[in-house]
Amino acid sequence: MPAAIGQELVALLPRLRRFALVLCRSQTLADDLVQGACERALARADSWAPGSRFDAWMLRILHNHWIDHLRRTRAEGMTEDVTTQTQLIGDAGEDPIFSRLVLSKVQKAIDALPQEQREVLVLVCGEDLSYREAAEILNVPVGTVMSRLARARKRLVEMTAAA
Amino acid sequence: MSQLHLSDEILMAFADGELDEPVATAVARAMAEDPGVARRILDFQQSRRLTRSAFSSALAADVPPELHAAVLARIEAYEGKGNRAPAAGPRSVVAERSRWGYPSTAIALAASVAAVSLGLGYFAGRQMDTEVSGVIAQLENPDIRAGLSRVGSGQELQVAAGRMRVISTYRVADGSLCREFRLHAASGTAEAVACRRQDWIVTFALAKAAGDAGYVPSSGDDPMAAYLQGIGAGEPLVDGAEAEALAETSS
Repeated sequence: MPAAIGQELVALLPRLRRFALVLCRSQTLADDLVQGACERALARADSWAPGSRFDAWMLRILHNHWIDHLRRTRAEGMTEDVTTQTQLIGDAGEDPIFSRLVLSKVQKAIDALPQEQREVLVLVCGEDLSYREAAEILNVPVGTVMSRLARARKRLVEMTAAA
Repeated sequence: MSQLHLSDEILMAFADGELDEPVATAVARAMAEDPGVARRILDFQQSRRLTRSAFSSALAADVPPELHAAVLARIEAYEGKGNRAPAAGPRSVVAERSRWGYPSTAIALAASVAAVSLGLGYFAGRQMDTEVSGVIAQLENPDIRAGLSRVGSGQELQVAAGRMRVISTYRVADGSLCREFRLHAASGTAEAVACRRQDWIVTFALAKAAGDAGYVPSSGDDPMAAYLQGIGAGEPLVDGAEAEALAETSS
């Protein structure tokens, strides 16, 4: 009998959806992606080791699902409703120290990053995963995570300072 | 001198607390010697905070009801009614957030950056001229320290170097009482944080020369705000709470 993961899965939905939006930049596709990844996770709930990080396991499934989707469609990544994505910035933040204006500037800068940098950025700085955890989710070496992440963050500082 | 090649990746890993000890110490030393290195590390800290804020704001967006319902249905199908019913809405992920925020290494780092800012004339990515370093040097004058012990937030005081204004008071993560204040001197203006140990010690300072409008205090993403956040300053103490904290004997 596999562990019941339903409850944790539901709790994780907002974060899964956020990562999916970073990956595919389309709300419709993101929701499909999350749903598909949940289905996969439920089907193989026995491969999650209780005690390990559920979120990292789940993000990895989501990422794999996305890669499979790309293989199927041979798409480079969809950009159909980037504008709707930027509307996601809400009023409630964990760091009220940054104004809404600053956050919207940051969000635009993040949107403008190359896909591979954006996904590393969201995993490490958004999801607070370690470099190693991010590397495992993305299935790339830790060194690759670090170089992409450093480039992304330098670019982010440049872009937000210039405006 | 450090033999280390200070690549962006190394400095970023230091800022993120991902470096192992021997290298971390070498980077800390390099940072203390070179304001440019400190600036790069500060930028990596800042980009992490900005990204986290942007993403946690985005997280506030609701999961569409259709997606929520669809996932609940799949859970139901796999796990059945016999198991605990899935929560009606997203549960809090408090435990997940335990690594969130800044570990003590980052606080130490912020303090080191501050020490650099005082020792080497580094501030906000700008080369400091002699006038500005003059303002910085006066921040720990005896009359200013005395003022910090008795003046309430929002009040101004005439001191030998010019006019000081206490902006706010915080109880920070390590329990120290810290105060943000501003000094207007003839040569320039400094905004600083002093924390009370035995006496008031300035732990962070930003300064600008007279007539330089480049630095705007209290904007949303300025280094002062980042520093205060880094040392775990929460809500400022006001009125009675502030007076009570100031009245405590410090030694």
